Amino acid sequence: MKIVVTVKLVPDPNADKRIDDGTKRLVRTGAETVLNPYDEYALEAALQIKEKVGGDTTVTVFSMAPESLKETLRKALAMGADDAVLLSDAGLEGSDVWASAYAISHALKKVGFDLLIVGGLSDDGSTGATPGALAEYLQAPLVTNARKAEVVDGKLKIERETDTGYQDVTAPLPCVMTTALTFGEPRYASLKGIMGAKKKTIAPLTVAELGLSEKVGQAGSKTQLLAFAPPPARGKGQVIEAADAVAGAQAIFAFLKERKLV
Amino acid sequence: MKNVLVYVQHKNGVTPKVTFEMATQARKLADQLGGKAHALVVGAGSTRLADALKGYPLDAIHVNDDNDVDTYLLDPVVDYLEAAAKAVGPALILVANTLTGKDVAGRLVGRLHAGVCADATDFKLEGGKIVAVMPKFGGAAVTNCELLAADYGIVTVRPNAFAAQAGGAGATVQAIDKPSGKSYGVLVEKDIEEGSGELALEEAPVVVAGGRGLGGPEPFDTLLKPLAHALGGAVGASRAAADAGWVPYSLQIGQTGKTVSPNLYIAVGISGAIQHKVGMRSSGTIVAINKDGQSPIAEFSDLMVVGDAFAIVPELTKLVQAAKS
Ligand SMILES: Cc1cc2nc3c(=O)[nH]c(=O)nc-3n(C[C@H](O)[C@H](O)[C@H](O)COP(=O)(O)OP(=O)(O)OC[C@H]3O[C@@H](n4cnc5c(N)ncnc54)[C@H](O)[C@@H]3O)c2cc1C
Ligand SMILES: Nc1ncnc2c1ncn2[C@@H]1O[C@H](COP(=O)(O)O)[C@@H](O)[C@H]1O
Repeated sequence: MKIVVTVKLVPDPNADKRIDDGTKRLVRTGAETVLNPYDEYALEAALQIKEKVGGDTTVTVFSMAPESLKETLRKALAMGADDAVLLSDAGLEGSDVWASAYAISHALKKVGFDLLIVGGLSDDGSTGATPGALAEYLQAPLVTNARKAEVVDGKLKIERETDTGYQDVTAPLPCVMTTALTFGEPRYASLKGIMGAKKKTIAPLTVAELGLSEKVGQAGSKTQLLAFAPPPARGKGQVIEAADAVAGAQAIFAFLKERKLV
Repeated sequence: MKNVLVYVQHKNGVTPKVTFEMATQARKLADQLGGKAHALVVGAGSTRLADALKGYPLDAIHVNDDNDVDTYLLDPVVDYLEAAAKAVGPALILVANTLTGKDVAGRLVGRLHAGVCADATDFKLEGGKIVAVMPKFGGAAVTNCELLAADYGIVTVRPNAFAAQAGGAGATVQAIDKPSGKSYGVLVEKDIEEGSGELALEEAPVVVAGGRGLGGPEPFDTLLKPLAHALGGAVGASRAAADAGWVPYSLQIGQTGKTVSPNLYIAVGISGAIQHKVGMRSSGTIVAINKDGQSPIAEFSDLMVVGDAFAIVPELTKLVQAAKS
């Protein structure tokens, strides 16, 4: 079975983010590029399924990102992916969700898969719309928010989280799946994994090889991000050290009363 | 883009409040664009729900009680939406920013070759183009996302960001035909609802949320629930609490859980990690009870009381109960 995992490379989510007053652009102080945290969960799911299914099952990591970020992908290889494909092209710059999904889906058709595992959300884009768009262009069924998945008789049995609880579903292969964070904590790369990753292939792919009939990049995008602005201020409020429980409760109660919340 | 089409997410006719918020907003946008406001309601219980929706200022509600919508995951809904969109003509499609809504929006991006703006909290019309205003980067920025001229555009709408107001002349309810020649891939074998019987988290005017500081499942029942009930609200949780299995995931608030913006948010034993903050920072008033005055939540709370939650919460509940009677 061939499992492919999409991994977006994003600025470190823990880095301090703020809007520069002058340029009105987002500033990330000292942010390095990392694997999108959600995609590490997707990779963990892929590795668990590979361990269970065994045989000649492989896990390929796919990313669309500038070539200069190539080495960031080594972490995924160190965690246990077998190889990687990196779609890089100046023509992809400024792609919105539609243009990205359109390009990525064509690349994934070339790569081929039985099971495609996509992260549920990108930390920097956070639309969560990419998996659905990929499923459409790949003409494969979509099952999102999986917390358990098992291959039984060539089909996927999945337990997934919903808005109101959970569901058990059965999906045919090939299939597109996204993972909930409950699938399992991403593993750490072992020393052996890190050493081995250096020898694994990261195959390059460019737009010219995809045979696209639509424009991508900023020119092909169907949405445009206008200005960033700082949000309405939410300053730090009062901090009260309560002498005892009653005093603490009274302080809150008085505050709620003043704001007409009780 | 001229018309507006609202996708109504529901289960057996029960829909979240955001549906009515979108219906209200659809009218405003349709008037500005010079088009009509439509809604699509499909699956078991749709006719009943359409009756309630009629009280909102829509022009037409397209209905089919088709059970396949509940038996198969997502595919039937997307087929119906495609059919409705084609019937309505160039349109802005509004979908709630919920787990299901994200899936539906993504599929429509591919199906209709359309752009998407996610998590809108406001709309503007600039030079005839629709601009969705959305918080980004954990609330560190507000972004404007413009839907460029195209036949269809999709916006996911944040629950609780818009007012819901009944009114209008009464929409016509009309049957929509089941799209023919379709096959559905994913069978739903079991569909379990958790945490029912309580006020839905996204709709509660007050949320009392607990975190790792509560140390186990019992305090959610014995400590938080009485306070939430006294305040007329609902109980929520951090991911640490959900991960520990103390509460179902449907109560989790944050980047990977629900987004809430109640009038009052009380965070009990929650440190205020960025991923939690994203889900509650737009609450009207934020109060934190935490034994560590240095917790990050102090930075965005209107009031933080430093102390032991186990001692303070029961006292606070007593005060609120006394004030009510
Ligand atoms: C990709 C990703 C997505 C995530 N998504 C989410 C999400 O959607 N929602 C979410 O919440 N988190 C999310 N997280 C996790 C998040 O980073 C934090 O780990 C989590 O929010 C911490 O939960 P907590 O505040 O309950 O626990 P902690 O950070 O451990 O805080 C516990 C707090 O309780 C206080 N405390 C302890 N005892 C008491 C007492 N007796 N009385 C009063 N206070 C007490 C402590 O001082 C502390 O501040 C995500 C993380 C990742 C990596
Ligand atoms: N440039 C990219 N390269 C690889 N995967 C991506 C890319 N953009 C989005 N994805 C995948 O799509 C998921 C959802 O992203 P988003 O729709 O931006 O929230 C991510 O978790 C990734 O798995």
